[in-house]
Amino acid sequence: MTSPLSRRDSLKLAAAAGMAGVVTAFPGRQSFANAHRVQDLAVEATRITVDGTQTNALTIGGTVPGPVLRWREGEEVVIRVTNRLSEPTSIHWHGLLLAGVMDGAPGFNGYEAIQPGQTYTYRFQLRQAGTYWYHSHSAAQEQAGMYGAIVIEPARPEPVRVTRDYVVLLSDHSPEAPDAIFRNLRNREGYYNRGQRTFLDFMRDVRRDGWSATMADRKAWGEMRMDPTDLADVTGYSFLVNGRGPQDNKTFLFTPGERVRLRFINGSAMSMYDVAIPDLRMTVISADGLPVIPVPVDEFRIGVGETYDVVVNPTEARAFTIMSEPLDRSGYARATLAPREGMEAAIPPRRPRTVLTMADMGMAHGGMAMGGSAMAGMDHSGMAMGGSAMAGMNHGGMPMSGSGTGPAAANPHAGHVMPGAPAQAAADPHAGHAMPSATAMADPNNPLGWEQAGTPEGKRALRYADLRSTRARPNAPQPSRDIILRLTGQMGRYSWSLNDRRFGMEEGIRVREGDRIRIRFMNETMMAHPMHLHGMFMEMENGAGDRLPYKHVVLVRPGAEASVLLTADEVGDWPFHCHLLYHMEAGMMTRFIVEPARVASAG
Amino acid sequence: MIKMSRLAALTLLAAAAATPAILVPAPALASPEGHGNNAQLLGQPAARGTGRVVRIEMTENAYSVPRIQVRAGETIRFVAVNRGQFLHEFSFAPAAVAAAHRPEMARMFEHGMITPERVVSLTMTMPDGTRMDHTAPNTVLVEPGKTGEISWRFTRAGTIEIACNIPGHYESGMAAELVVTPR
Repeated sequence: MTSPLSRRDSLKLAAAAGMAGVVTAFPGRQSFANAHRVQDLAVEATRITVDGTQTNALTIGGTVPGPVLRWREGEEVVIRVTNRLSEPTSIHWHGLLLAGVMDGAPGFNGYEAIQPGQTYTYRFQLRQAGTYWYHSHSAAQEQAGMYGAIVIEPARPEPVRVTRDYVVLLSDHSPEAPDAIFRNLRNREGYYNRGQRTFLDFMRDVRRDGWSATMADRKAWGEMRMDPTDLADVTGYSFLVNGRGPQDNKTFLFTPGERVRLRFINGSAMSMYDVAIPDLRMTVISADGLPVIPVPVDEFRIGVGETYDVVVNPTEARAFTIMSEPLDRSGYARATLAPREGMEAAIPPRRPRTVLTMADMGMAHGGMAMGGSAMAGMDHSGMAMGGSAMAGMNHGGMPMSGSGTGPAAANPHAGHVMPGAPAQAAADPHAGHAMPSATAMADPNNPLGWEQAGTPEGKRALRYADLRSTRARPNAPQPSRDIILRLTGQMGRYSWSLNDRRFGMEEGIRVREGDRIRIRFMNETMMAHPMHLHGMFMEMENGAGDRLPYKHVVLVRPGAEASVLLTADEVGDWPFHCHLLYHMEAGMMTRFIVEPARVASAG
Repeated sequence: MIKMSRLAALTLLAAAAATPAILVPAPALASPEGHGNNAQLLGQPAARGTGRVVRIEMTENAYSVPRIQVRAGETIRFVAVNRGQFLHEFSFAPAAVAAAHRPEMARMFEHGMITPERVVSLTMTMPDGTRMDHTAPNTVLVEPGKTGEISWRFTRAGTIEIACNIPGHYESGMAAELVVTPR
């Protein structure tokens, strides 16, 4: 089974691969004579066309997304990145195990941003196989189009044999400049305040739904957008598949009877999706690049930064829609699997937004002041907050988010997270354990709570608990300590943080090389946060026994806890952050510092 | 449609490699004893250990051969060796029959009758009183490192499918063709 390689393994592989290695003929490659692949990538500003509309974009290699980088495990690759922008840039290799300075996150591991006009040469050996991606780690450039897929063929035979192999890269594209979006988020008071009227709308909804209490802070309410009918006035994201909009209809060809591998990558800035191919069952074979025991499912939810590889076996000569609906249901990304170009299948009925439940609220707000006069005498049991009410809560001065009615461009975070979390399913953002209260019982037309994806009756959605590594580690050592990482934030000020400290004000997490640790994420906010660690895989504690899946992103549900184990075997200071772009920008990041084990004798 | 056969578990782990599991979703097609002629399966079970040996290796997630061809009138002793790390199935049936069986296999998986690596039990009584049996003569579950066998006398020509119906394995490509040529 393919699994992350130790450095020693990778050296062996490199030696083996040497004979078969392909050296790309390239001017001036002499200095990289040992590398198997040399690639030049330029970063430049350009314009792209999505569904017939032109917008500004930042591109890697001239396109959005950037070119698929197809490599082979064991190879050493060289990538020369030239910055043709008027601002610093960077490229980070998301999910790859490599030396810190090659990781591409400015300010970490001694890596510095690539200045305008300069070229940075990345060089690293591939110690793993699978589906990964790359993106800018500078400012919000990723939002503007700086992302692309990485496909690394394994050195050993694949556990799956397919005839077709496609990358399906999901992204959210905005006509607004990313820094403008971020400015708007930070200045929301002026930007979003809809004033008294919406506040009254909110109160009406609250009365109708029998819910109130939670909003003790009236001043915060004043900042909320309350009326869902406002939402259509704001231009939102376009959701793309491989840079193509729903009308462009990216088409993947197959011949009936073939096995087709689809490598889903969520390269969005802020959007998470429920992905389904109506009438076609998918078998999930990899998560975050590494193989899992195959799980047949009808749909899966994919957080920002995550990847899932699936295999499908279409036997009929017809088109199938690959449907990816963002959690706020503000649109969809669409592509088609078809025997010929130009075919299309029906767009399935759009799913309803899930609705927050009172149980979720109560559990999620352990640390939040729920008191206040409005609360007195209210019966909270089993009540759902109406979707419209939630729409208004996006910007409350409290650690919670909206239910996803957010106009994405103006408010990219709204609703990408559904605060409807029954918190007891802590380790499992998708589903998990039975919900004791009556609120979360699945009704596809009226979903309640984060885990309710609007899955059609009789269909099976992937759960985190389904993921089991193909690699068993029965002798994995117990962690020597637990590190608690509280996911914290103040929505009203668009302040996102870890352990209440914004990046730059925090001390970082310090471990020693070789330490085996547990990280406990405690999400004290009402948004889900896809937590991403650079440089190492986390072993997600999802109940899979000695087959905990390796993940580089763990989606921590609103108000819930999750935990991971890891062996700190990669020395460096690594970014550890929420992969929602504007959360990271706002400060939801820290340093994960792995100090070298003492060298017994240097001589 | 889980319960296909009333046959109690013959033997479990030790014999698991040679214990038939259900495959055909109608008892009449493969009677518990497996002695009835079976049009769909192009023949009938033969005495254990008899027949011309056809050896197949199983790994993740593939058979070592894409196609096996035999003649009507032959008795074949399929020897399925699991050289992988996970439990695999050697079975043969028409593709549609195997496809109908896969959800049942998924239920067995979910209920813990089989794990990724091994067979826990080939029979289980469900809370609602129904019984899941996974015993039939045209299929065998083989644990890693073990060998399973099926002896089968082919009587009619046709093409059916060899498949591993453990969730995700067939979908990953663990299938082969079984061609029976006329005598």
